Formats: sequence, C-alpha cells, structure tokens
Amino acid sequence: MASIVVQQLGKSFRTKKKREGFAGSLKALVRPDYEDKTAVGSISFKVEQGETLAFLGPNGAGKSTTIKMLTGILHPTAGYAEVLGCCPWKERTKLSYGIGSVFGQKSQLWYHLPPIDTFELMSRIYELRRGDYLQRRDQLIERFELGPYLHTAVRKLSLGERMRCEIAAALLHRPQVLFLDEPTIGLDVVVKQRIRELIRELNREEGTTIFLTSHDAGDIERLCERAIVINYGRIVFDDRVELMKRRFLTHKTIRLVLEEEPERVELAGVSVLEQSGVRLALSVDTELTTIEAALSRIMARHRIVDVTVEDPPMESIITHMYGYSGKEELAT
Amino acid sequence: MTALGKSVKYVFIGKITLRNQLAYVADFLVRSLFLLLILYIFLQLWRTTFQGEGTELIAGYSFKQIMWYLVVTEAMTLACPSLCTRIEEEVKSGDVAFKLVRPISFIAFHYVEYMSEAAIRFAVNAVLGGALGLLVIGPPAFGAGLLWLPVAAFGGFTVNFTVNMTLALSAFWVEETRGLEFVYHKFLFTIGGMLMPLELFPEALQRIGHWLPLQAIVYIPAKTAVAFDWTRLPAMLATQAFWIAVFGLIAVFVYRKGVKRLNVNGG
Repeated sequence: MASIVVQQLGKSFRTKKKREGFAGSLKALVRPDYEDKTAVGSISFKVEQGETLAFLGPNGAGKSTTIKMLTGILHPTAGYAEVLGCCPWKERTKLSYGIGSVFGQKSQLWYHLPPIDTFELMSRIYELRRGDYLQRRDQLIERFELGPYLHTAVRKLSLGERMRCEIAAALLHRPQVLFLDEPTIGLDVVVKQRIRELIRELNREEGTTIFLTSHDAGDIERLCERAIVINYGRIVFDDRVELMKRRFLTHKTIRLVLEEEPERVELAGVSVLEQSGVRLALSVDTELTTIEAALSRIMARHRIVDVTVEDPPMESIITHMYGYSGKEELAT
Repeated sequence: MTALGKSVKYVFIGKITLRNQLAYVADFLVRSLFLLLILYIFLQLWRTTFQGEGTELIAGYSFKQIMWYLVVTEAMTLACPSLCTRIEEEVKSGDVAFKLVRPISFIAFHYVEYMSEAAIRFAVNAVLGGALGLLVIGPPAFGAGLLWLPVAAFGGFTVNFTVNMTLALSAFWVEETRGLEFVYHKFLFTIGGMLMPLELFPEALQRIGHWLPLQAIVYIPAKTAVAFDWTRLPAMLATQAFWIAVFGLIAVFVYRKGVKRLNVNGG
C-alpha cells in the first residue's frame, strides 16, 4: 500500500524582480516587475508503506518545497498528492496525526525548558491517552538514551543531544510517515551514526515510512533503500540506492600518510589528486579497480601510517548524475 | 475527542508558555524600569497642568485618578508582546512550518502564547507601577473597579491580540509588517487613550475614538479601574466583546487566505 502518492505536483512562486542600483529600486517602487519562479516542475512518484526514501538534490532544487507540500504547509500550483490517504493541503490537521517531521536546522523544543516538558506538550497536542504516552515516552527515552539530560534545559544541550530529543519528540505520536529534512546536519560522526541506527531500527520495528532529505552520502547509503534525485524542480533519478551507487559513485578518495615520501604513483584506475610530502590523496575509479586492490598495491611499496577512504560529496554525485541524464530529460 | 478535550491542549500550551516566560522575568523587570520613567515624567506634567488649571477635576478626573489611569494603561501597553515581530520572524526563518504541521490552530496557539506572556508581564508591571503609585501618588480609590480590572484587561489584551494578529498575518504576503505595527501603536498611544482618557480629547476626536476598536484595549480597562461605574460596565464589556468578534473573524479570514499563498522560507 502506498503511503505517499504524488502526481504531476508543481509549485511556482511569483517574486518581485530586483533592479540594479538606486534608480532601479525607485522604478521598482512605481512599476514593480514580477517573475514566476518554478520551484517544483511536475513531479510524480509513489512511496510504499515502510519504504526508506532519500529525496535528494542540490540547494534550491525543490526538495524542501516538496516536503512542505507533502506536509500540507504549502499549497501547490499544479498537480495532486496524497499522504496516508489525505490531501495534505486540504486535510492538514487530519494528516498531522499520522506524520512526524524533523527539520534539522529548526527546533521544535522549548528553549528554556527541559525536553520532558516538550514531550508533555506533544502528548497534549496529539491528544495521546496518558497510559499510551507514558509507555511510548519511556520507550523512546530508553532507545534514544535520553535519560541523563531529560530534565536539562534545551539551551544547555549539545547539538547531538538536542537532535535526539527532536527526533524522539517527533515520534511520540507513532507517526506512520516520518519526514526528515537534513536530520544529521552539523553533527559529529559518532552521533550521526547513532541517529541513523535509531531511524533504521524504527523503520524495521514499526514499519515507519521514512522520507529523508540530506546532503550526507552516509545518511543515504546507511539509511535508505531508494533514492529520488530532483534538480531544477524535476526528477532526474528514481531507483534503488544500490543502483545509484553502482552507476554514479564510481570514484572514491583514499587519503594516506606514508612513512616515507612516495615516488610517482602509477596504478591502473588510480589518479593522484594531491601530493605533499608524505601525504597523498588518490582518486580510485571503482569501475576499473577496487579500493582493496589499490591499497594492497600501495602497501606492497610503502609503509602506511594512516589511511582514510572517502566518498565524494553528495553534491558532486548529484552534479555528475545531472550531467548524465538531467539536461536531456529537462530539455524534453 | 470533544471540544472541551481539545481545549485542554491550549490550556497546556498556556501553562508551558508561562513556565518558559519565567526565564525572562529579569528582562521584564529591566523593561519595567522604563515604566517608572514614563510615570515620573507624566506625574510632573499632570501636576503642572492641574496647578495651571487651578481645578480639582479635569473632564471629571482628579489628579490621582489620571495618574492611576496612566499606571494601568502603561502597565498594559508595556505588557503586550510584539505579535508582528514574532510572526514575521516565524515566516522569515521558516519556523512557521512547525506550527502548521501540528494538529493545532495557528491563531489559537498564538493567542494562548500571547495571553500567557501578557499576563506575566502585566503582573510584573502592575507590581512595579503599583508600588511607585502608592509611594508617589498615594493609594487609589479603585473600589469595585479593582475587581473588574482583570476582566476588562483580559478583554483589552484579547482585542489587541485580534487586531495585531490581523496586521501580523500580512507577513504571509509582504514579510515586513513592523511598519504597520508602528502606525497602529501610534494610534493606540493617541486616539486609543493610552496617554490620557478619551474624555480629555476634543469632542470630534472623542466621537471618532468611540467608533474605533482602540478604546477597547487600554481605555476601557483603565477607566473601569479608576472611574468605575456599574451602569456603564455592561456597555464597555459589550464593546470589547463586539471588537473581539469583529477582529477575530477578520483574523480567521485573513489567515485562511494567507496560508494558501504562504511562502515558507528556508530549507
């Protein structure tokens, strides 16, 4: 059964065009120029119940606008959508009982009060039965390890602690669909990892549909089964993350610190990105060779002090994908 | 869930706002110092005016009544949170999204938040203003007016909320609303009876004032306190109820129109 159905959904904004200089500003006061900006072109997709979807795209691609239409905050200018059988912008209140949302750069917690007070408020807002609320709250406190700072004012929490509380607060009413807009932004590696695990567990155990936007390749790889890439308001990729990785994550970066300065590195499928003394950054084309093969060949020649393997940033993968298919699709 | 059950959530929002606002009590106290300054200046002005006139009463008000009138109007005015600033910020930062994805009424949420904040600020201002009044002016002769002041103040804050909400909701279209708020405040200061009772105005201005909602905000509560009149009380409370209904409906209408064309920033 589909949790989300989107049919040719579009949103355009009418914005005032700013003219150059002081004279331009005065002219604009008398005769303003408007331009229509298409934030979301005409997109269609379905998300099945229990699916984990990464909704990706560069800044300004239309991701947040789409989330805002699917949560009923924005009214579209074209098309139709259904979330849990409700038209979001027409039945926003009814829908709000079935969805949860976390916006990574915004906080829903009361700044001067401890998280427990926000949880209490949420229980009232969502009209939860007392027993159900207490059981759910305790379950989330245990799962998200919130016990130690449950009674600490939010302003005194670290970003990681706060984000765990934000997600827990969004889950109190057992939403069937969880919208996560950049949930790991600004978090350190360990906290990111923990948050991903928690969301994954939630999806497995409760069958919650996850709709995630992120610029973090790790979020997408470790959390999502399917990815939709949007650019210039249009879908340029919609398939399994595995396939996306195979097709588009063709390069990885190996950063090495060696014991001695290396000689010229000449390996098939490997190119040097940066070399400075004993530090070396290599780009590995995973279609031509594997990371393991590249590393073993380097280890055969040099002693390694430190090594890290990095994925290219999501932005560059998306740009790469757009180069492959977006322009052609957009032209039609 | 019944309507009564649903209203419980708003009572709780009010309670949590009150608790959150307690963190700002020190800030309110500092702001209230401004109240002392205003009252001191007006004390001097009115003393000189009464001496110049050489009468005990001006438009039916004694010097003491005028000063206590000012204590009430200033305590109320300084207690009103800036709704335009709040909603404008919510729209600009995109935080409005959190209000819209919840099963709560946007206007009702802001109302309980506004009233809780105003209640705390009014209490702080009333204590400070009252203390100064007792020290400098002497005890007031409020009588039954003191009992009806909370009711009239509640009505006054509610009228102010509905008018402010109507102005603040224009943020859904224009994003910059503080200009409107500035003009509105200036009307409230003058023709709204914040600086002096409407009876002191020229006849024509008084007539205009009585047709505007502004009188319901601080003039009616302050007059109820300092010049209480049983026979006029029902009419004054009915005036407040009328403007609450009018601007409440306008605010709901503007909200319904605005939310359809809202452009949530950020993200």
